[in-house]
Amino acid sequence: MEKLIHLLIPRHTNNHKAKMLHSFSLLVIASFLILFQAVINFSPKIGGAILGYAASISRDEVVRLTNLKRAEAGLSPFSINSSLNNAAYAKGADMINKDYWAHVAPDGTQPWAFFNSVGYKYRYAGENLARDFSNANDAVTAWMNSPTHRDNILNPKYKEIGIGIIDGDLAGSDTTVIVQFFGAGYADAVREPIAQAATTENIKPAAVATIKPTAVPTVVPTFVLEINTAPAVITTPNAEQQVLVSPFTTTRNVSLIVVALLLLVFVVDAYLVSKRRISRIAGRSFAHVIFLGMILSIVIILRSGQIL
Amino acid sequence: MQKFKKHIPHYFSLIGVFVAGIIGFYVYSYDRFFQIGVVVALAAAYVSWGIIHHTIHKDICLTVVLEYIAVAILGVTIVLSLIFRV
Repeated sequence: MEKLIHLLIPRHTNNHKAKMLHSFSLLVIASFLILFQAVINFSPKIGGAILGYAASISRDEVVRLTNLKRAEAGLSPFSINSSLNNAAYAKGADMINKDYWAHVAPDGTQPWAFFNSVGYKYRYAGENLARDFSNANDAVTAWMNSPTHRDNILNPKYKEIGIGIIDGDLAGSDTTVIVQFFGAGYADAVREPIAQAATTENIKPAAVATIKPTAVPTVVPTFVLEINTAPAVITTPNAEQQVLVSPFTTTRNVSLIVVALLLLVFVVDAYLVSKRRISRIAGRSFAHVIFLGMILSIVIILRSGQIL
Repeated sequence: MQKFKKHIPHYFSLIGVFVAGIIGFYVYSYDRFFQIGVVVALAAAYVSWGIIHHTIHKDICLTVVLEYIAVAILGVTIVLSLIFRV
């Protein structure tokens, strides 16, 4: 009890400043937080099942939320293309297998190579990536908050979508990767620029007498598609799965406890020092409280997940 | 309390910087590198504020500077551990 008071309350034994607020003690707390991160990183390798991460993300949910955003922007919804699904899954599997988190693989493989690998002949193609999100809504919201990713989702040139969701180990961390592929085939893209035939309401009667309506020639390029007919092996994560113990949530909870405790000790310390009229050489407690208040706000704002 | 009232204009500048930082964090939630830059800049601004504030009030000393640096390091450690965890 005596030690606890020494740690938390200003008195003569701690030079009239709570021991916990001494510069050395603050650095010790920071060191413990770093050590805690190391434990989180290594515990799955040592103990196996101490920390686990399983996503509750389904492909249909990602598509539904994406189409919802397009509908809000007045755009037509994406149609799901099974070839794009396969390509997106192949990209996710490639990232897990080769252990990279980027649009371009370390060996130089471009995202478009995955479109080609499933025989998808694209006129326009795009890619959004996300990892470490525990639900589809957070991932789509993060994409929408990023101008470049939002441009992909709300691009009217894209007509089809493919989603790949894969669990695996990326740079030593268990994670769930979401790959969003957008595309427009040649048929979709060529039809678009052709002007619509004028309606009869706009044609003067004199002209109608001599002009017979003719069909607008539609140029449809012909391609010999080399479609990979081998069925792709896709393992969709079970939507019922939940995050067991998220490393991010654990870190955040520990951070919240540490910051809240420090704030409390700073406030109590400032009150007692002011009440007892103790004169001491120290920083401004109110400034420290403001700074830690800002850190607390940031901890609350931060959400798990990265996008690329 | 008298001392606190005397410092109020200084505290307003500190609060202004921190509010801008929080808004930056929220608006650029998708940009990790920006967030890292913001938290380091905020910590540097906090230490600078402490040094300037105590210099103006003529009560600056190494112990005080180290205290601001220790609080700043702890704050940066907390935020970076979360940024690198996501």
